[in-house]
Amino acid sequence: MLHDVYKSVGGFGSYGMISMIIFIVFFALLVLYAISIRKKDAEDFSRMPLDDFSKESDEIQDS
Amino acid sequence: MENQTFYYDNKIVRNFAYATLFWGVIGMVVGLLLALQFIWPALSFGIPYTTFGRIRPIHTNAVIFAFVGNGMFTGIYYSLQRLCKARMFSDLLSKINFWGWQFIIVCAALTFAFGITTGKEYAELEWPIDILVAVIWLVFGANMIGTIIKRRTQHIYVAIWFYIATFVTITILHVTNSIEIPVTFFKSYPVYAGVQDALVQWWYGHNAVAFFLTTPFLGLMYYFLPKAANRPIYSYRLSIVHFWALIFLYIWAGPHHLLYSALPNWAQSLGVVFSVMLIAPSWGGMVNGLLTLRGAWDRVREDPVLKFMVVAVTAYGMSTFEGPMMSTKTVNAISHFTDWTVGHAHIGALGWNGFLTFAVLYYLLPKMFQTQLYSKKVANMHFWIATLGIIFYAVPLYWGAITQASMWKEFTAAGFLKYPNFLETVTQLRPMYATRALGGGLYIIGILLGVYNLIMTVKAGTFVPEEAASAPALVKRSASREQGEGIHRWLERRPVQFILFALIAILIGGLIEIVPLYLVKTNIPTIASVKPYTPLELQGRDIYVREGCYTCHSQQVRPFRSETERYGEYAKAGEYIYDHPFQWGSKRNGPDLSREGVVNGRQYKPNSWHYNHMLNPQRLNEQSIMPVYKWLISDDLDISTTAKKIRVMQLFGVPYPEGYDKIANDDLMKQARGIAYDLKSQGIQVEPGKEIIAMIAYLQRLGKDVHAAGNPTATISGK
Ligand code: HEC
Repeated sequence: MLHDVYKSVGGFGSYGMISMIIFIVFFALLVLYAISIRKKDAEDFSRMPLDDFSKESDEIQDS
Repeated sequence: MENQTFYYDNKIVRNFAYATLFWGVIGMVVGLLLALQFIWPALSFGIPYTTFGRIRPIHTNAVIFAFVGNGMFTGIYYSLQRLCKARMFSDLLSKINFWGWQFIIVCAALTFAFGITTGKEYAELEWPIDILVAVIWLVFGANMIGTIIKRRTQHIYVAIWFYIATFVTITILHVTNSIEIPVTFFKSYPVYAGVQDALVQWWYGHNAVAFFLTTPFLGLMYYFLPKAANRPIYSYRLSIVHFWALIFLYIWAGPHHLLYSALPNWAQSLGVVFSVMLIAPSWGGMVNGLLTLRGAWDRVREDPVLKFMVVAVTAYGMSTFEGPMMSTKTVNAISHFTDWTVGHAHIGALGWNGFLTFAVLYYLLPKMFQTQLYSKKVANMHFWIATLGIIFYAVPLYWGAITQASMWKEFTAAGFLKYPNFLETVTQLRPMYATRALGGGLYIIGILLGVYNLIMTVKAGTFVPEEAASAPALVKRSASREQGEGIHRWLERRPVQFILFALIAILIGGLIEIVPLYLVKTNIPTIASVKPYTPLELQGRDIYVREGCYTCHSQQVRPFRSETERYGEYAKAGEYIYDHPFQWGSKRNGPDLSREGVVNGRQYKPNSWHYNHMLNPQRLNEQSIMPVYKWLISDDLDISTTAKKIRVMQLFGVPYPEGYDKIANDDLMKQARGIAYDLKSQGIQVEPGKEIIAMIAYLQRLGKDVHAAGNPTATISGK
């Protein structure tokens, strides 16, 4: 089916096919990796911009 | 661990913020003047420096590189220091970055006004300034990477990943697209010609949007949105997928600017498929931004900073949906060459970049001046007026684009073009152009309110040039992955490796797209009848480039019946092989010119017509919006450059006979006298040494070679 879609785009050919496969593999690995990240790491990371040890952030923190 | 005390450099941030406001106003006012010239062409004032073709690059470059560029530096210099818990690597480099960038902007504005341009959209700067840009950009990069290396945090945050991708990619894009051979200090020719030049240019152009207008601003979003909302970013996992998928994909999509062109089909198709896939990571980013606000929506109503951010992120979502849609061949057949593209660009520029820039300024200026924003009310007014401005700007352009595209494509029952006169399709749009100008005007009023509000804020506060902060020094950790440490976690504390990985991600797409065009000869089939330009035509072409005619005219007939009927033979890759630079253009406010010189062709006009038209287009067509070019008639053609130009062309392999540079001017004068003689027979007295003669020679050459090849007019698809 996928092949029909490419054919309808026109001139995609095997070159385009290979490019797509490269991307899909890359993307799949990326997603798998992202899922496997530890919860604690993810939470620490998300807070990074909030924790900048300067005076101003202390003020915001308690707002 | 003992805390170290250090100071954030706020002065550099403040300077960039002021520059952002200053150039923002200037860039947008020039934009408004352009919009008004479509209603009153007399507003080009009959002088070269203010004509549409020359000030359009001033507008686009000022808004992109001066307003958004300075805005980006403002946000990066502020957030990078805080995210790294370190002062910028070097105050000297910061200063060089700041003053160097402002100097470049001034040079850009002056050179464009004087017609010094390479004629490639968004890359119009001539070679000395290109070199300067590269140097200052590297200074910025060195300063940024230096700061990252001396940071006090273990991991680098997602905002910084985006900053890194910005630096790395823009360096590559700028250098690759600017490879040119100087003819004089103010004039160069790109080494690429025709189709290759087009591909490299739009690979650059598209990715300038991606890596100058998008990635740095996503970085700013990832820092300032959580900061302003005081909420952690919604999902770290999503940000990893967002970042890598986005930088990997973006770079492939450039050819969507060249659909139905003479670019080989495989490259076009690659562009389409990857553009459509781009929706996924782009929307991933938008979702990550908006969901960060979950639980804080009540604050959005109160806080102007968040309000601006929400609209910015929404505009980002809209334009990243619209972009892929416009990349499909069906929509592109309608949208391309119309003002749809301009509308699309402004949703991004005014909504995403403009609003996010102001959100950042409204956030950080009060902080650095230890005060509150002067007036929430004025900020809210700015918000509403500017939002209305965007709507008034974009909607009429979409409407106009669809109207114009339909008129271009409409046939009568008898099978003739219903609107054979191109100008009719322009005249129809005048009310839309007026509304667009109103929208732009509203947006500028909003900006002025913002500037006023910020000036009052600054006046009321006290500036903290050196902001004290403290953090423990960075603990040295093993260079290799530690037990249980994820790959990405490891990468986040190894900036050099991170840069390398980002580089690889962008290079894969870049190489796959560009390299085959060099290696595969059959991609550009040669056409035997296509010959190099005569010296006079070459000089005329350079005037065409100088005047920025490409800002209104295309030179690229698409393979639709509606276009071949209107203009003539559709474009072939082989016909552009001597075009340094290519001049395909990206919109048609005037008709395509690539078949202008085909005798007995649909567009053919005698020399005298061209003379009178350039002297005063409105005298021939009252409704014309083309500017007056009367200086071409009074100014002498500079033929001192001819020999040098021929030699540079020979260097590129253009087959002028050996030693031709020495006699080129003889040929030039001979051809010029012929045209002057012809004009004289029509009652027009003009010396052969004037610029207009070269311009006419060039216009009369356009399309001749292809038609000499005796190609039958054929079309690929319907209308
Ligand atoms: C602001 C947009 C704009 C710019 C800039 C512009 N033109 Fe035009 N041009 C038009 C419009 C609109 C028309 C159609 C009306 C007319 O003939 O004047 C046109 C028509 C023409 C035509 C006649 C085409 C035909 O076959 O009917 C020629 C030739 C031409 N322009 C050449 C140039 C050259 C050369 C330059 C640069 C020196 C230039 N134009 C710059 C808008 C522009």
